[in-house]
Amino acid sequence: MPFERVLMKHVGVPNSTSLAVYQADGGYTGAARALRMKPDELVELVKQANLRGRGGAGFPAGLKWSFLPKDRKITYLCVNADESEPPTFCNRVLIDHDPHMLLEGILIAGYATRTTVAYIYLRGEFMEQFHVLQRALDEAYAAGYFGRNILGSGYDLECYIHRGAGAYICGEETGLIESLEGKRGWPRIKPPFPAVEGLFRQPTVVNNVETLACLPHLLTRGLEWWLGLGTANSKGPKMYCISGPVNRPGCYEAPLGITCRELIYGDDFGGGMRGGKKVKAVFPGGLSMGVLRGDLFPRAPAGTIDPRQDYDELDCVLDFDDVRKYDLLGLGTAAAVVVPEDADMRDVLVNVARFYALESCGQCTHCREGTTWMYKIAQRMRAGAGRLLDLDLLVEISQNMGMMPGMSICGLPDGAAWPVRTAVQKFRREFERRIAEQEPEAARRWTREVNRAAYELPVLQGRETTYVGGTFYQPP
Amino acid sequence: MPKIIIDGREIECRAGIPVLQAALEAGLAVPHYCYHPGLSIVASCRLCLMEMKLPHPQTRELVWAPKLFPSCQTPVQDGMEVRFDSAAVRDNQKHVMEYYLLNHPLDCPVCDKAGECYLQDYTEAHGPGSSRMVEDKQKNPKKDIGPHTLLYQDRCVLCSRCVRFCDEIAGTGELAVVNRGSRGEIDVFPGRPLDNPLQGNVVDLCPVGALLDKDFLFKQRVWLLRSTKSVSPADSGGQTIWIDSNEQGIHRIRPRYNERVNEWWISDEARFGWKYVHRPDRLNRPQVREAGTMRPARWEELPTLLRSRFAEMTPGASLAEGALGPSPDTALKGRGIAAVLSPMMSCEEAWLLARFVRDVAPQATLVLGHVPVVGEDQTFPKGFTIKAEKCPNRRGVETILRHLGGHTADFRTFLGQAVERRFDAAYIVGGYPDVWVTPDVADALAKVEFLVVHDLFPSRLNERAAVQIPGATWAEREGTFMNCDGLLQPFERAIVPPEGVKSDGQFVYELAGRSGLFHARKVRDEMAAEMPQFAEVFVPRELPKHAH
Ligand SMILES: Cc1cc2nc3c(=O)[nH]c(=O)nc-3n(C[C@H](O)[C@H](O)[C@H](O)COP(=O)(O)O)c2cc1C
Ligand code: SF4
Ligand code: SF4
Ligand code: FES
Repeated sequence: MPFERVLMKHVGVPNSTSLAVYQADGGYTGAARALRMKPDELVELVKQANLRGRGGAGFPAGLKWSFLPKDRKITYLCVNADESEPPTFCNRVLIDHDPHMLLEGILIAGYATRTTVAYIYLRGEFMEQFHVLQRALDEAYAAGYFGRNILGSGYDLECYIHRGAGAYICGEETGLIESLEGKRGWPRIKPPFPAVEGLFRQPTVVNNVETLACLPHLLTRGLEWWLGLGTANSKGPKMYCISGPVNRPGCYEAPLGITCRELIYGDDFGGGMRGGKKVKAVFPGGLSMGVLRGDLFPRAPAGTIDPRQDYDELDCVLDFDDVRKYDLLGLGTAAAVVVPEDADMRDVLVNVARFYALESCGQCTHCREGTTWMYKIAQRMRAGAGRLLDLDLLVEISQNMGMMPGMSICGLPDGAAWPVRTAVQKFRREFERRIAEQEPEAARRWTREVNRAAYELPVLQGRETTYVGGTFYQPP
Repeated sequence: MPKIIIDGREIECRAGIPVLQAALEAGLAVPHYCYHPGLSIVASCRLCLMEMKLPHPQTRELVWAPKLFPSCQTPVQDGMEVRFDSAAVRDNQKHVMEYYLLNHPLDCPVCDKAGECYLQDYTEAHGPGSSRMVEDKQKNPKKDIGPHTLLYQDRCVLCSRCVRFCDEIAGTGELAVVNRGSRGEIDVFPGRPLDNPLQGNVVDLCPVGALLDKDFLFKQRVWLLRSTKSVSPADSGGQTIWIDSNEQGIHRIRPRYNERVNEWWISDEARFGWKYVHRPDRLNRPQVREAGTMRPARWEELPTLLRSRFAEMTPGASLAEGALGPSPDTALKGRGIAAVLSPMMSCEEAWLLARFVRDVAPQATLVLGHVPVVGEDQTFPKGFTIKAEKCPNRRGVETILRHLGGHTADFRTFLGQAVERRFDAAYIVGGYPDVWVTPDVADALAKVEFLVVHDLFPSRLNERAAVQIPGATWAEREGTFMNCDGLLQPFERAIVPPEGVKSDGQFVYELAGRSGLFHARKVRDEMAAEMPQFAEVFVPRELPKHAH
């Protein structure tokens, strides 16, 4: 049986954002069904479905909800619509075409978690989406899907839309909470986790737009349908984005677990590379998850996966588990960006490093200073003044930042470290070649121009260049 | 009390404190910037990271976890095992210290903080010794952020202590971090300078030379300064302070931790209120009026002079009688004599002077001097209070007066009685930093025939005084102050009085007919024999050596 789109079923349907169109296609029946269940039954259902968060971390939503303290009086639901991960636009497509699907999901999740107030934290740049969503919300209120005594169930839920001001870090759940409270979007230290002490220091659930949009379908189509989609540990439908020089860039829905090659070359997806070029690299999960080698490289002998070898890695299955075998951080947002064969990896590196240097909130030292340092090194390498030791330095910096080695409050630097480190490690040959092609002494001359002090100190002479600092954290 | 193991050593610590605090209290020099026990925990500098043993996911056996943990954010738990003495921890410290210096201008030679800077100290102790960054440094501006404070942004390590102080302790929130990432800066809002009654604390809090006190700017290298334990006379709260001085000059005042009063902070009043100590118009020699004009006197002649003049003024009293204590026919003797004990005096000085006067004239009136009050007590969000009463020892003087009993009066009543010419002689102690002799005080005291004025500065009493004695400021004396809650706190002498001035304690000691050197401690022991309130002084807990 071919896969039937659910999340994107209304893309292309005229007037799809209106309540009438949504209801005509069975809209809000999932919510009606949910409201007849007990909240705990719903949580149990979502647990059984193993609905893993679509916001990046892939944390099971049902499990997250069950962390809420039993005796709570107030619960908040924060809908993470801050979608700022570089090549990602799934949430935007969803809101653009089907805002009611999100609202229904909010109603279901709200009921399951006994939420009193839900806040939709919308990315600042989503101006148009804000109006679409606000109109839909007004309609839903008028139809009695929000407010007091929803559908006669006795359940009350208020929902507000809050627009961010354009910061990636406000997508991190505690940064989002701080921002929502009207403060600077600085992620909080954990514990306490939001489930215990979140928005306004009350129990709070933070979920991504797509995670919530899955709920109506889970209810109407049932657990069996859901479990029939996806791979062992990654169930359900997923929206994949693809951008870069492919024939059909865009957002596509598929059951979890298509391969990267399918996403690029599949006729239902990217439709192959423009001009028949080869893929040099692909960042398959938003920038933060790291990079895969493309089909410019030879295929690995069947059955081997070894990210240390220069093999084509497009057979990576884009679900929550397989990606790790390729030295990726996770599935992320499942938004791939393709780098064609004729691109210069130094440009790619500058682009990647710049994003995190600009978006680090600046609280934690490693993240604040490390991201900027990496960006500066990448810029110098692109300017044709790289040194071989810069490659090691980049790896060292990236291995000493992030939550995993314990060196930061939030996950942003993990997301900064992974693409930089994997790019340097997986494309090291190219970087080395570019450095060899530079005019000799370029690094010295460059340094003398921009930082005389460093030039005159014996840094460049190789005597004091490196201390044996080593690297604490070795990713698996 | 929980026991934890740090670096293989078992340590007993207070329950609920962070591991970092326990380690510091145990004497370990764990580097840290953002943690401050008086502020909320943000765990952002990541310098205090440690290794910790956790149960292995499969075997449940306790093993070193493969990551680091912020020790400032991890509360102690009985039986936990952590270590700082490990390659991973040192490696992290090295990286962090390298990061801090990436954009630092390395201008220690012209930095006020040099010598007490935790960027210097930690770099020396934990840093890599050289930077590997060859790119251009980011140049951050220097900013004038308030009437008392400068911000050298290029030296800042963004620990956010100053921001948290303004938000949490002062409650005024003037400071904020602006911009993201390594372009982050501390700044004030336009038109809203850093200006609150506690703002000076941000300078002490700043672990590096980013926030600087304009008053102290370029005045001294800190290693030349000598720090003396003292108590601020600025208000009746009894804030404990360090007086930093060099070559008999005070250069700045810093808070001295006090768990009962001011914790880690002091008010700006206490911090900047010492300037009067070095005013050039301080009285600097005793003078005695003879035939209408003042003549310089020698210190040695004063005790005899005062004793005999007071005795003369006490009808029928003789020195011998006074010394033997009151007898029935002395009941009325000496009622025309008063001693005004200033709340700026230490307990010991007040007691010695009161005893002297009562000794000569048992019926003398003892008066609590002028108590300056400005506005109302000002309490800040976490409880820090600036007292309206701007003198350190009202309560101590009152306690002594109550104990000695007999005729006592408050200052206003005394002035009223003076106007009625009830007093033939009076010994007036001042010692206030500001003008306190208002015209009505001067007029009332003009009615006293034999007026002894013991004060710091010339005043309206110059023409009226029969004897003028130069006083010393609190920084030039030692003793104890009793704060408004009855807490008795000792202070030490930081500098010697200006040439020609004898410290008040020494003088009243001699006046009381004693020889040798005045020791506050010894006098206090005598007092304690009569008044149990003076048996014990409160000395705040010393902070662990490596904490800041
Ligand atoms: C730096 C950073 C940025 C993030 N940005 C987003 C985002 O834009 N949208 C999102 O849904 N989740 C984002 N996340 C993930 C959230 O922290 C959180 O895991 C997610 O909202 C949880 O929802 P889910 O469980 O439904 O996925 C971000 C995380 C980090 C560390
Ligand atoms: S890790 Fe980076 S982005 Fe996250 S809180 Fe720390 S400084 Fe901010
Ligand atoms: S100015 Fe000082 S106290 Fe404030 S953040 Fe910078 S280093 Fe910390
Ligand atoms: S992170 Fe612990 S002191 Fe800064």
